[in-house]
Amino acid sequence: MNRNPYRALLALTVALPLFALTACGGEDNDTGTVVTPTPTTPTTPTTPGQTGTSFNVSRCLNQMVGNQTVASLVVPDTLQINFANASGFPNGRQLADPVIDVTLAVLFLDLTKHPATTFASIPLNPPANDLPFRTAFPYMAAPQGTPPIASGTGANFNFRTDAPSAYTRVDRMGMPAVATALIRSDSKTAYNDDSPEVDATGKWVPEITATLTGLTNALADDLAAAKLTPCATPN
Amino acid sequence: MTRKGKYLGGGLAALLAIPLIVAVADRGGFAADHLDPPARTDAAVDPTPDRAADITDIYAWHTADNLIIAFNFAGPQATNLPAVYDRNVLYTLNISTSDSVTNPAFPIRFRFGTDAAGNVGIRLENVPGVGTIEGPVETTLSRNGVQIRAGLYDDPFFFDLQGFKQTQSTGTLSFDNKRNFFAGQNLTGVVLQIPRALLGTNVQKVRIWGDTARFGGQI
Repeated sequence: MNRNPYRALLALTVALPLFALTACGGEDNDTGTVVTPTPTTPTTPTTPGQTGTSFNVSRCLNQMVGNQTVASLVVPDTLQINFANASGFPNGRQLADPVIDVTLAVLFLDLTKHPATTFASIPLNPPANDLPFRTAFPYMAAPQGTPPIASGTGANFNFRTDAPSAYTRVDRMGMPAVATALIRSDSKTAYNDDSPEVDATGKWVPEITATLTGLTNALADDLAAAKLTPCATPN
Repeated sequence: MTRKGKYLGGGLAALLAIPLIVAVADRGGFAADHLDPPARTDAAVDPTPDRAADITDIYAWHTADNLIIAFNFAGPQATNLPAVYDRNVLYTLNISTSDSVTNPAFPIRFRFGTDAAGNVGIRLENVPGVGTIEGPVETTLSRNGVQIRAGLYDDPFFFDLQGFKQTQSTGTLSFDNKRNFFAGQNLTGVVLQIPRALLGTNVQKVRIWGDTARFGGQI
């Protein structure tokens, strides 16, 4: 709990806004100008546990996290680092950052009333790795157990030299938890076949908005019971 | 902020944890990127999961002098298993030195191969300040201030995925912040430390993302 990553997060929350899914803007491919698609208000499927109240999540997506909206952090799906700001999620992602708890807070809570560290402070999830990270390169901890380890030697290796076009996409990743949490199961393969360049067109904004809306409809009463104010507004 | 966090630390934590998990479980799962997309990488869904091409996490952070990136895959796995080095997978780690996601300045590509004796090596292209470099895995490759090391590591992610899935299947809360699904497991990763000066002049912001692709189509 008292490990350093939280300091970075707290600093970030104060100094910068944390996440903001605004209307999900992206970069125009040629000019670098921000394209801001308008989120649709999706029809929300019935979810077990929801109260019947439906919510609009546009305000959640437009919340500021540091100097960015939540939307601009999630779409296009990349990690962003501003070298002028302190290191730590969502300004990049360090090994020790509690990204899931922070992401949950940023997506569901009114950040003008609750810090992005609200859930990480509880915490909802384990707050740290089971092994300490190394303080110097390569930073990640050594493997656990006694697995076979490659020799660390050799020369004249035989590598494929085929052009990238000879390969078929399997997976992609930028921001943690975006594809797994905000893209529905039956869309995940298509999402992984796309690219940040496609994200920037706004293609996935309706999907992300719909998923977040469904989650919010199910959680809003629970957030209220915990005396937490959701970022979403009732329709 | 701190006061508010402490206030939540008591009974409210349990109150919060339950509904969150139940509701979210109905919608899939919060994880980093392990086993996603399920139809290609999760053994529970795909009888031939492509573990080598399954990105688990991408980390990227900066210091005053360096940009550090860890591109991890093939995890989590048991601690008696070797690293996964597949000659037929192309890994791409994109670094854009602007806000644009089109034509990133450094589309770093890497692949694995073996020598006549069966030793495993890695070859990377488009590395800032280096270009192409190759050498054995489990050895730090250094050139022009850049350090690169491919190898087997502890899985650095932490999250109660087990409780998540149990809750999903039973409808009973099984969430526990002392239970880390990724504890005691390993993965394969490539770590790069790149002097920021090699990214270009006046680079203020970077965007980073990665993907994997398989030669000959998906398995």
